Amino acid sequence: MTINTSPTPEWIDHIRRDFEALRQEFSIHQNHLGELTLGDFTHIFDAASRLEQMLDTSELATHSHDLMNVLTALRGYAEMLREDIGASHSNLDAILSSLLESVQAAHNGSTVQSANQSRDIQSDPGFILAVDDRQENRELVARNLSRIGHIVITAASGEEALRALEQSDVDVVLLDLIMPGMNGHEFLRRIKEHPEWRATPVIVISGSQDMDGIIECIEAGADDYLFKPFNPVLLQARIKAGIERKRWHDKEQQYRLQLERNEKFIRATFGRYLSDEIVTDILERPEGLELGGDLRRVSIMLSDIRGFTSLSENLAPAQVVSMLNRYLGVMTDIIMAHHGTIDEFIGDAILAVFGAPQYRDDDADRAVKCALAMQAAMADINALNEAEGFPAISTGIAINTGDVIAGNIGSERRSKYGFVGHPMNVTSRIEDVTAGDEILISESTLQSLKGNYRLGRSEQINVKGIDETILVHQVAGEKT
Amino acid sequence: MTAGQRILLVEDNELNRNMMVRRLNRAGLEVITAGNGQQALDIMHAEQPSVVLMDMNLPVLDGWAASRRAKEDESIRDIPIIALTAHATEAHRVYAMEAGCDDYATKPVDFPGLLTKIRELTRA
Repeated sequence: MTINTSPTPEWIDHIRRDFEALRQEFSIHQNHLGELTLGDFTHIFDAASRLEQMLDTSELATHSHDLMNVLTALRGYAEMLREDIGASHSNLDAILSSLLESVQAAHNGSTVQSANQSRDIQSDPGFILAVDDRQENRELVARNLSRIGHIVITAASGEEALRALEQSDVDVVLLDLIMPGMNGHEFLRRIKEHPEWRATPVIVISGSQDMDGIIECIEAGADDYLFKPFNPVLLQARIKAGIERKRWHDKEQQYRLQLERNEKFIRATFGRYLSDEIVTDILERPEGLELGGDLRRVSIMLSDIRGFTSLSENLAPAQVVSMLNRYLGVMTDIIMAHHGTIDEFIGDAILAVFGAPQYRDDDADRAVKCALAMQAAMADINALNEAEGFPAISTGIAINTGDVIAGNIGSERRSKYGFVGHPMNVTSRIEDVTAGDEILISESTLQSLKGNYRLGRSEQINVKGIDETILVHQVAGEKT
Repeated sequence: MTAGQRILLVEDNELNRNMMVRRLNRAGLEVITAGNGQQALDIMHAEQPSVVLMDMNLPVLDGWAASRRAKEDESIRDIPIIALTAHATEAHRVYAMEAGCDDYATKPVDFPGLLTKIRELTRA
């Protein structure tokens, strides 16, 4: 569409009127003006002639970029002149003021006009990399796309384009296939092999109906294509679609990273206390994350090295730590293998829970089997201890089953997944009466067992703080 | 601005470039010019201007790429760059900052505002 077929915009008449007035007023005063001001007038009239030349031809519609530049220059000179002589020449000031208003109207008008005339596609602004070996093509594309708000960076070769991708976060690549040096096909291959760039949409531009070339590119991962000479509106539409694809991909990527971060956090937080399997279980079930306090039936295991305090008095601190770490390391592996949750290490004692955060039918059985495995492992630990000149050690293990509150316990600043309740105290009480190499389980644990075990002595014990006695049983092994 | 400080104006349109030079001169600033991003980088190296006014939509090497390269180049990375673009969206401002520009102005330029930015960046 050209200016000849559209109604003449009002601002054109206004600008012509203002220039005419300015020229007349200038001719009256020109002999009294300073050199600097005269220079400004020369420039503003130069710009005016350039604009009038554009108005006289149909250049206006096709060169809106040039029009903007002329208007910007006019505005600058008009503002300068007002600063210089506005105060002393009120007539000139009024004309310049009117001219500035007309320029503003022209600016607004031509923006609207060019948008209307070419049916520009409006889109979120994107960062476009245009790759073409010919400068006039690069400028054509840059102008067409920057007019609707995109940022266009250009590259004259595949090599240059790869450097641009390294430096900028590009939304869409517009690629000319025929280039000297690294050609479009090779460049496309490099992009699609790159772990980060491969998601960046590539629109290939090819000469006269080169369908084979296009098909090859689509197979190589190109997202869209255009034939030369292309329709600017079609280009804008495809760029818009490309940007939207890229935005969706970026969003998806963001969600995935967030999920990975969450998973890492959960693994780091719980991984030290829970077996891998339980952590995976929690991650796979969204409700598993809601670890608010709740009542759980669990089997609690407390193990303790007999006489460790007096034993450690005869060893150097480093020896105590090294011996303890070996012991706790072996025991941790065994507890995790039995899907127990280690609540805490209290010096040489280990407090573990079976049945939280995940309840299983065989919680009590796994607790008992775990205790048996722990006692069986003591022979190997003691063999190593003796080899290094450390004394042999023995542990007593107590197991009790009951309802406890499980949850994140603590303050905002520091909390951990833990357990509270009377059964915890009862377990501790049972542990007090357990001898070395012995496993004692409460009556409630015994009732919960599904497997068959060889039992030893049974005993009634008092529990501190409440008037209650409970029955405990010695476990000697599994029945085969 | 102290004596000996110069502004590099990077603008491809001659009409506009002349207008801006005249106007900046009028404000007491010494101005050197470049017509594209590559020239701008060369002049930044050779002349070490106090501040750069960079039109971002330039031929040969555009302002985005030129700004990025300038900020990767140790010998000129400390020269402040004010980006000049025709677009007033937040995205463009962010892009300019990401390209390493120190400040941002939209065209048509509010000249008194631009002078303030120049003075702020050259005060150090």
